[in-house]
This record gives sequence, structure tokens and C-alpha cells, in this order.
Amino acid sequence: MAATRSQNRQMFWRIVRRLLGANRTRLFAILLALGAGAAVTAALLNLQIDAKRRITTEFRAFGPNVLVLPKNTSLSDSGTLPETIAHSVPANLPSGRVVVTSHLYFVAAVSAPESGKSLAAVVAGTSPLVFINVSPLPAPPRAGRECVVGAKVARQLNAQQTAQISLTIGDRRETCQIASFLELGGPEDDRVEIDLGAAQRLANLSGRISSLELIVPGKPSEIQTYITALQRELPDADVRPIRQFTDAQARIYGRISGVLNFTIGTVLVLTALCVMAAMTNVAMERRNDVGLMKAIGGATRRVLRLFLAEAALLGLAGGLIGAAAGIVLSIWLGKQVFGVAAQPRLIVYPVAVALTIIVAILSAYPLRRLASIRPASVFRGEA
Amino acid sequence: MFLRLVADSFTRRPRRKVLTAAALSLGMAVVTAALSVSLDVGDRLASEFRSLGANLLVTPQADSLPLEIGGVDYRPVNAGAYLPEADLPKIKTVFWHNNIIAFAPMLELRAEALPLASQNWIDGVSLIGTWADHTVPLPDGGKFQTGIAKTNPWWQIEGRWFSDDAKECVVGATFAQKRHVKIGDSISLATGRVTRIPSPMKVTGILSSGGPEDESILVPLSSAQSLAGEPGEYRKLYVSALTKPEDDFARRDPKTMKADEFERWSCSPYVSSIAYSIKEVLPGTDVRVIRRVAEGEGTVLTRVRALLWMVTFAALLAAALAVGASAAASVIERRTEIGLMKALGAGSGTVGFLLAAEQLVLAFVGGGIGYSLGTLLARLVGQKIFGVAPAPSVLVLVAVLALAAGVTLLGSAIPLRRASRYEPAPILRGE
Repeated sequence: MAATRSQNRQMFWRIVRRLLGANRTRLFAILLALGAGAAVTAALLNLQIDAKRRITTEFRAFGPNVLVLPKNTSLSDSGTLPETIAHSVPANLPSGRVVVTSHLYFVAAVSAPESGKSLAAVVAGTSPLVFINVSPLPAPPRAGRECVVGAKVARQLNAQQTAQISLTIGDRRETCQIASFLELGGPEDDRVEIDLGAAQRLANLSGRISSLELIVPGKPSEIQTYITALQRELPDADVRPIRQFTDAQARIYGRISGVLNFTIGTVLVLTALCVMAAMTNVAMERRNDVGLMKAIGGATRRVLRLFLAEAALLGLAGGLIGAAAGIVLSIWLGKQVFGVAAQPRLIVYPVAVALTIIVAILSAYPLRRLASIRPASVFRGEA
Repeated sequence: MFLRLVADSFTRRPRRKVLTAAALSLGMAVVTAALSVSLDVGDRLASEFRSLGANLLVTPQADSLPLEIGGVDYRPVNAGAYLPEADLPKIKTVFWHNNIIAFAPMLELRAEALPLASQNWIDGVSLIGTWADHTVPLPDGGKFQTGIAKTNPWWQIEGRWFSDDAKECVVGATFAQKRHVKIGDSISLATGRVTRIPSPMKVTGILSSGGPEDESILVPLSSAQSLAGEPGEYRKLYVSALTKPEDDFARRDPKTMKADEFERWSCSPYVSSIAYSIKEVLPGTDVRVIRRVAEGEGTVLTRVRALLWMVTFAALLAAALAVGASAAASVIERRTEIGLMKALGAGSGTVGFLLAAEQLVLAFVGGGIGYSLGTLLARLVGQKIFGVAPAPSVLVLVAVLALAAGVTLLGSAIPLRRASRYEPAPILRGE
């Protein structure tokens, strides 16, 4: 009994092997269709996870989106915060690093000895201070006494790059060398940025800052959670989102992820339908095989099992090859779009393979109709 | 005879043909939907980005340096230059006037306020005069509806904005909380001791902007002008314009361009070329691009566009392969027929031609159905996500039909080549 069963099983797989190997061109065509479907599924699933995260990091381009200010500031009294507050800001989020800059703002007299001009301007002590070298000459060596001058200030001072300028409040005085200009179209254009330490000496506010500016990456909901958590951490300060950017980001993120979800969803469904239509076309020509098997005494269920096994094997092979190709494709495409290779998610691979197998088996389903055919009519060439 | 053979093949095995056509239409529907959405999404997102607010700032050229800390200008009222309000309609006469979505002039000053509930005048209140929802008569006789509500869409207002010609005002949320001002109260405003005559303005709304405006009082521009003693003048103008992301060409200095380059530059809606054209109609101004908004927008938009093209490309690839495979399968199964035709004396060329004609008919029918299905789908996506359906484009139809024809022919080419080498006899014997 056991021997018969094992023999049956042997025979079963032998027939499946033969079915697969009978026509190489057809095998190739089916594998191509299934593989293409699997590749697209894997590539899109991988991208979908990756792209959303990337888009939120792209929002960095808008600059700071969260401010930490002293509590109860009013126009007459612009309070300050201790410098050490920057250390209590959690810097690592699952969505990326939070970029923190400290600022101290005040008004000082700015003069350029070279042009002999002098005016009152806002000085921003900034830490860390970022230089952008705008002149074609190599950047001068940094001695810690350099500043970034807003384009409007520079124009009014008539100052050139590498010129010395001096900042004075009462009898306190700091000099610095212009390292670069800043033209952003915002209030930065009207300011002089210097190193935070120098600014604190100048304003006689050692260890104090006016505000922290944070670039918080992540989804809108993650940013909101971060703000709430930070406010709890810093009860003495006022943590507020820069709504112009957080609101717009939330809107735009919603739209982009909507487009992505919808497009990818439809593409996946239609790809599956496409593959199924192609596979069904192939399955229909199996009438002769089914007729023959039934003629020599194959039970309908057994015949059906044979074809389902064949379809599952094809799905497995197509899925394994296609999904691998798709992941490679998504890595390459990610590199093209974001400049950084998309990180392959391992979970995508089995999911894509499983989906392909399911699609392959579903495509073989119309064979059920063949179960009702009468072998004789097939051989007579009818129907 | 040729046409009869083609027609015969369709009527003889309609099921088979329907299946192949179905695969084709589905594939082409994917392509159409993906193409339509990606062609359209750039424009849709660009207008979505306008929720970031203004991307251009117009200030007087001769202005003194603003002393702005935390959004508050510490300059005295009499310092700095002003611009004439009467020039503003000219903005809508520039070449890119359709791209200018909104603009709002602003006049900020320091004033004293007397809320109804309190007995004492409050010094040093920041007052912002602007347009809430203003109708600008245009030189060509039209009207343009604009104001701060459009340039700063993230400003949330409880209640309603003031009417531009009424004695009404809107109070910032922090100010309202501190001074216990509610909607429906009235506030008197003054600049300097002489003008301290109670002339109540009705509070119509509470503004929460998340910025320094929360501590200010917003009034109609005309009220601010009379308080400042600068009738018909403003100090800052915010402009929100639809732009094309800047590339290297856009960043070049227009002064160094040759005539044809300059023409190309000014005919692209780059933020810098719009700034340039505004500067030309508003003399004595300095038009600055708010880089933070414009560049962030550019970066994100470029990325998203590329991303969607990528998805489209993947969809194209999948559809092409599936359709090609289906076409190949439909040729393979006709070995016997090919054998018979060859046995009856048809040359390989004739057989190939016949099958190609059949496939082309299928491609056009499938492509056409796919196009209509895909357009429907794209409408659904567009409607659902952006509230606006993409317009069906002939370009997409042509592309889809060409792709369908190309892919089916390519898919059948390989098995056809093999078929042309068939010996008729063994096939007919069923070997």
C-alpha cells in the first residue's frame, strides 16, 4: 500500500516535470510574465516603504520646523534660555537625526573700517556656525573670528569677502572676518551671524541663548509627538512648531503618500490581472493534455492537482527570480531618484514570492472548467 | 483572401482572442493610468506647495536695514522707505500674471491699544495692516481677489477676518489671552499721545499663526496707513506664485545671458524670472526670492516627480512584459495552423505578415479599451487625492497605442522567427 502511494507520488512529480519541460518556449513565456509581475511587485513594495521615509527627510530642505523659545517673552523683554538646554533635546529619532542650532539675537552697531560705513544691525550668535564659501578663492583659514554676513547688510556696509568688520555694544567690541554672505530672502539677509561664544561676550550674556531651532525629520504625526514630548522635557521653555512648514509638510506628505499608495495599489492589482490573463491563455491550451489524462483513467481531482502543482511551481520559480530582480531594480531606481540606494527590506521578498504563487494558482483556476470536458470530444477536435 | 483569413481567425476562436485582448487592455490600462497621473501630478503638487505661503518678498529698494528679532521689527516708525499701494494692480499685468496666485501688502507699526475691558492704554503693541480678502481692480477691467488669507494659508482664524473697509480688527491668540480680549469686543488704537481718542474697532476674529503675529493686532491696511500717517503706502509685499523648480540654467544671472537665452529664461516660470518681471513693473523695489520656501519646494517637487516617473516606468515594464508574454503564448499555440499554412504553400513571410496583422488588430482594440479604462482610473485617482481629475490627453493615447503595437509585435516576433523555421510535416503529424 505504502509502496503504491510512493510510486503514485513519484509518478505525480514525473508528470509535473514533463509538463514543465514539454515546451521550453512556453515555459519561458510563462516565467517571463510571472517574473515581471513579481519584479514589479517587489520593486514597488520596497520603494513604497522607502520612498515615504525619504520624502520626509527631503523636507529638511525647508530648514527648521520647530522652535524652542523662552517662556513668556514679550516685546519689551526678550528673555533668554540657558545654553545647556540644547543638551536635553533628544537628538536621535527612528526617522533620523534632529539637527539642533542655538541662537542668541541682539542689536549691535556694525562697522566696516575699510569702507568707513557703520549701521545698526541684528547680530545672531549661532552654534554651530555654517560657512558657505561663495568666493572662487579658497576659504581663508578659520581662526574662530569669522562671520557670515547677510546680503543686505553687506550691500549697505559695502563690504567685500574677507574684509574685517567690527561689532560694538557700549564698550564691548568684537571683530571678525567675513567668511561668506547669505542671501535667503528671509530675515537672515539683514543679520550678521557670528560664533555663539563671541556673541555672548559681546552681549554680556554668557551661557544664555535666545532660541533653539530644530529640524525634526519624520512624518507629521511623529513631529507632533516629538513636540509634545519635548515640551514635557523642557517645562521652562516654549516649544512650538513653525506652522508654515509643519502644516504644509503635513498636507504635502498626505498628498504624496496618497498618490503613491493609490498608484502602487492599482499597479499591483492590474499587474496581477495582467499576469492572470496571460497565464489563463496558456492554461486553456492544456485541453488536449487534460483530455488524454482523463481518457486513460485520471480522476478529475487528480488531474486538477497536477495542474495546480505545476502552476504553484511556476509561481515559485517566477517569484523567486522576479522578486530578486525587482529588489535589485528598486535599489537602482532609488539611487537614481534620491541619490542613495533604497534599503532592501527582507520582508518584501517572501511577500512578493507568496503573492506571485497565489496569482499563478488563481490563473490555473479556469482549468476547473476543463474538468467537465469529455475526452472523446477533445480528441475528435470538437469544441 | 488575406483579410478573410484575419477575420476568420477572430471569429473561429473568439474566447482565445478575448483573453489575449483582455491581458492587453489591462496592461495598457495600467500604463494609461500611471502616465496620466504622473503627467498631471507635477502641476497638482506645485499648487499644493502654495500652502507654504509666499515665495517672493517685495521691499523698498531704499529701505534701511530692518532690525527684526523674532519677527518683530525694532526700527522706529519713521525709519525706512515705503511703497505706493496704487501700483499693486500692475503685478497682475506681468507676463506670468496667471502664475501669481495671491499677494498681500503689509504695513507694520508700533501703536498703543486700549481694549474695552481695560482702563489703561497698552504701549508698544505691534500692529499689522494688511488685506484680508481684498478685491483689486485690474487695469484691464477685471477684478482679482487676494489677501493675507491666501498668501499665508497656515494662519488659522477663529471667527472671521475683518472687512477691508470697516472698523474691524483681528487679534493674535497670545495677545487675546493675555489681555482677555474676546470676539465681539472692541479695541481703540492710537499712535502717540495726541491721537488717543477712543475710536473702537470691533474684534471679528482671533488669529493663531504659531509665529510673532500671535502677539499682534491685525487691522485693514487703510486703518494702519492712517495710524502711521502714511496714506496709500505699504512696506512689505508678499507674493505667492506657482513656479517651476529651478535648475542650473534658472540660477544664472540674467544680466550675463545672451538674447535668446534670456528669452528662454524669462519664458519659463522660474521663481527668479517671476521676481525679475515683478521688479520691472514695480519700480524702486527689491524683489527677493524667499529661498527657504522656493528651494525646499523645488527639491521636494523634483524628487516626487522622479519617484512617480519611476513607478510609471515600473508599471510600463510590467505591462509590456505581461502583454509580450501573452502575445508570445498566442503565437506558440498556433503551431499546427502555421504548419498547415506552410504545407499549403505559404511562405514564412506571408505567415508572419498574417499573424502580425492579427496581433496589430488585437493591439489596437486592446490598447483602445485599455486607454479608456486607464483614463477612468486616472480620473478616480485624481479626484480622490487632489479633487481634480487629470484631463485626458491625446499624447497618452498615442503613446499607449504605439506601446501596445510595439510590445505585441515584439512579443510575437520571437516565436514567429521560430515558426518560420518549422518543417510543416512533423507538426502536422503532431510530433
